[in-house]
Amino acid sequence: MRLLPLACAFALGTAAFAAHAATPAPSISASVPGSGAIVSKTLANGLTIIVWPDHDIPSANYYTFYKVGSRNEHAGITGLAHFFEHMMFNGTTRRKPGEFDRTMEAAGGSNNASTSNDLTIYTDWFPSSALETIFDLEGDRMANLAFDPKVVESERGVVYSERRSSVDNDSMGTLMEQMQATAWLAHPYQIPTIGWPSDIEHWKSDDLRQFFKTYYAPNNAVLVVAGDVDPAQVFQLADTYLATLPRQPEPTPITTVEPEQLGERRIVVERADAQSPIVAYAFHSGIGAGSKDYPTLELLTTILAQGQSSRLHQRLVEKEQAAVDAGAFAEAGFDPGLLWVYAALPPGGDTGKVEALLDDELAKIARTGVSAAELDKARNLKLSEFWREMATINGKASALGSYQVFNGDYRKAFAAPAAFEAVTAARIQALAAKVLRVQNRTTGLLKPTAAAETTITKEGAR
Amino acid sequence: MSRLRFVFAALVAFALGTATAASPSSQSIRLPDFQTVQLDNGVTLLLAPRKDVPMVAATVLVRGGSLADPAGKEGTADLLAELLSKGAGDRDALAFAQTVDGAGGSLGFGSSSEAITANAQFLSRDSGLMLSLLADALLRPKMDAAEFDKLRKHAIDGIAAAKDGDPRRLIGTYSDAWLFRGHPYGRPDSGDETSLATITLGDLQAFRQQQMGGDRLIISIAGDFDPASVTAQVRKDFGGWGKASGALPQVSAKARESGRRVLLVDKPGATQTYFALANIGSQHGDPARAAQDLVQTAFGGRFTSMLNTELRVKSGLTYGARSSIARLRQPGDASITSFTKTESTKAAIDLAIATLDRLHQAGLDNTTLQSAKHYIAGQFPPSLETAPQLAGAIAWLALYGDCRDYIDGYLGQVAAATPEQVAAARTVFPDSRDLVLVAIGDAAKIRGVMRGYGPLTEMKITDPRFSPTP
Repeated sequence: MRLLPLACAFALGTAAFAAHAATPAPSISASVPGSGAIVSKTLANGLTIIVWPDHDIPSANYYTFYKVGSRNEHAGITGLAHFFEHMMFNGTTRRKPGEFDRTMEAAGGSNNASTSNDLTIYTDWFPSSALETIFDLEGDRMANLAFDPKVVESERGVVYSERRSSVDNDSMGTLMEQMQATAWLAHPYQIPTIGWPSDIEHWKSDDLRQFFKTYYAPNNAVLVVAGDVDPAQVFQLADTYLATLPRQPEPTPITTVEPEQLGERRIVVERADAQSPIVAYAFHSGIGAGSKDYPTLELLTTILAQGQSSRLHQRLVEKEQAAVDAGAFAEAGFDPGLLWVYAALPPGGDTGKVEALLDDELAKIARTGVSAAELDKARNLKLSEFWREMATINGKASALGSYQVFNGDYRKAFAAPAAFEAVTAARIQALAAKVLRVQNRTTGLLKPTAAAETTITKEGAR
Repeated sequence: MSRLRFVFAALVAFALGTATAASPSSQSIRLPDFQTVQLDNGVTLLLAPRKDVPMVAATVLVRGGSLADPAGKEGTADLLAELLSKGAGDRDALAFAQTVDGAGGSLGFGSSSEAITANAQFLSRDSGLMLSLLADALLRPKMDAAEFDKLRKHAIDGIAAAKDGDPRRLIGTYSDAWLFRGHPYGRPDSGDETSLATITLGDLQAFRQQQMGGDRLIISIAGDFDPASVTAQVRKDFGGWGKASGALPQVSAKARESGRRVLLVDKPGATQTYFALANIGSQHGDPARAAQDLVQTAFGGRFTSMLNTELRVKSGLTYGARSSIARLRQPGDASITSFTKTESTKAAIDLAIATLDRLHQAGLDNTTLQSAKHYIAGQFPPSLETAPQLAGAIAWLALYGDCRDYIDGYLGQVAAATPEQVAAARTVFPDSRDLVLVAIGDAAKIRGVMRGYGPLTEMKITDPRFSPTP
């Protein structure tokens, strides 16, 4: 069944045309070579298109950012955004299941997609000679997606297999899923992106259709094309293949605000097949990706965990040798996310000792702040990261799209180094004091429960 | 948390060995001009300046690598490589790390089978500093006993932690160990829990003296730097390094296995079985490389490959199925890997074998062959886009003694591969009667299934080696 019958799409599309003339990026981007050539415009149907021509290699990227992720799900359809990520490759009313991939690969292209709490991102990497083929494929699946019941059932098995590897058979994956579900009481960030098993087993085709109609619309997407392309040609192809797609009603906003945490939550996950314990903390950061405080959060986690000289690595791995690995990272999307701190222990490791070490290290940064050298180091690490991203058309497309969806303007990508320069040590200390509190965290322990077993080898047992 | 639709860890598993044909523009992809400087002590310096972003990448190779590990002390080269940056010159381990991180740089040491490796990336303004750190690490490492003890313990504990992680990351290690049992290629580069426990600081010092020196050193630098000043600094910093005293490791080829043998690695409670089917495949410099890569692409190297189509797309048995070809100086493995829920272990392995049989019986039709040519052509350019990629590419050319045509000519070879050559190249993958099989899974539930594929050997995932005790 067609979700958007062609006749309907064409009828609505007659009014679709470029709403704005293409606009060049302002001078703020001039410090990045080639960024002055970026142009963007928004079609009448609401699709924002950003083009960064870059002719270093004869290749291009086509990135579609749909503003939908697991935060848009609810009980019964958890994992649907991720499942949908798969279904967007599985046939349209014009093309059979598998034809999308076969056509793209025959033209020299490859693709992938990823889903997070907030976004589903479809990525195509291809020789620039295949540009029109890519527009044709992408326009078709945005307009004409089909849901063959047989394919839905087969893909269910694929997703379940993915879940078994990344969650069920992986200690860290299991622990994080349980902690995420504990750390959030109200906000849909509690939902695992891969979905709960019983929901994976029970999605209906109607769920998919409704989800598609709501979220996979041009007005809910941002398109970035980077690489060996001519912007005029990109916009012309967009007019041909995308401008005719109808705008859809705006999705219902997610308005739930997570209530303040009133005290520590603790969970223990027991695994019979594990050897190594894990200790992890998840703090509510209170900061979203578009927040002015986001660079402060990034520098805080950098100081805690990036590089061999970082605080957590030095204390837990090098000095105390209590952990095999220690780290921290912050999740931030449309809404404030979690700041994760973790330590992977050796077999037989003392989780109590590791908790005490983590507590001491986190209290120290809140109590005494960070040194000027540490702050400089963190800024330099972020500056290198920025230039590494700007070194590839893939990184460029990713950066522009992320800033467009989370910050409302791709040009802010180029302000990142300056934003990190502007963060003071006092702000990092204040954020640490506010966030890294025991009352604000979920503590997760993964405990191996199997008795030590002796090595058994059976040669030629047949 | 991001969930990727599909993870093809080494999609163009062989960027260096892959390239193409489709469009005229992609055929023009070639390495940029680079300069080769030979120092009197044998150091090879490769320079590929390019103005792109204000960063520089360096790849450093010291010929030899893990193949020089003494028997029973696997992991020696890798531990030594890691120890090099744990204090060097006038900096202790912490000061060294603070200097690298403080500049926003990255510097990682390790060992592959044929070379000790260092990969560095840094802001252009720090080129002088980072090269001096590399020189300190290679020529003046402190080799501190306390740091060594920590590293060795860390390496051993890290293996145990990895065994609690996603088994996809381990299946290749077990598969190599089982296929190359008794051969140097079967020894894990990073060692195992048993071999690491036997290594002493003295072993590392002896290895360094015997296997490291200016005559074994290749330094490749790409990015935004001044060639004259970098050359002068490399001469000053590395020009005085003496020769390694020992011989380079020599390895003879392992013959392809006949018949089947099966290893079952028991991971109690696992809800999924991870499996590999392998045999000896191809080697570096194989004249059939381009034709083999076309077979590899169509058989198991891309999303629409025969394997992924059968095991994932059509049947939903797995999240991914792929094949790979490892080319070392001597023939490496050609393998199939996938995973499936415990209950469908037999169905998935049977289907993988049937797909292998179909490759040999039916070959590739012209449409598939042309698609594979275009695919390789389209995916090759991004493998040579960045400074780290260029530095790595030209460093490994030098290590193998290849001329630049190894990369520049590759797309042309792929385009020119005839149907006959491609048909012949199918033999890089084994006949299904001659397979070495490995499965990681819940032995209590899949033992009977695995026994059906050939003589069975079992071990536990908690065993401190990656192969059964000999």
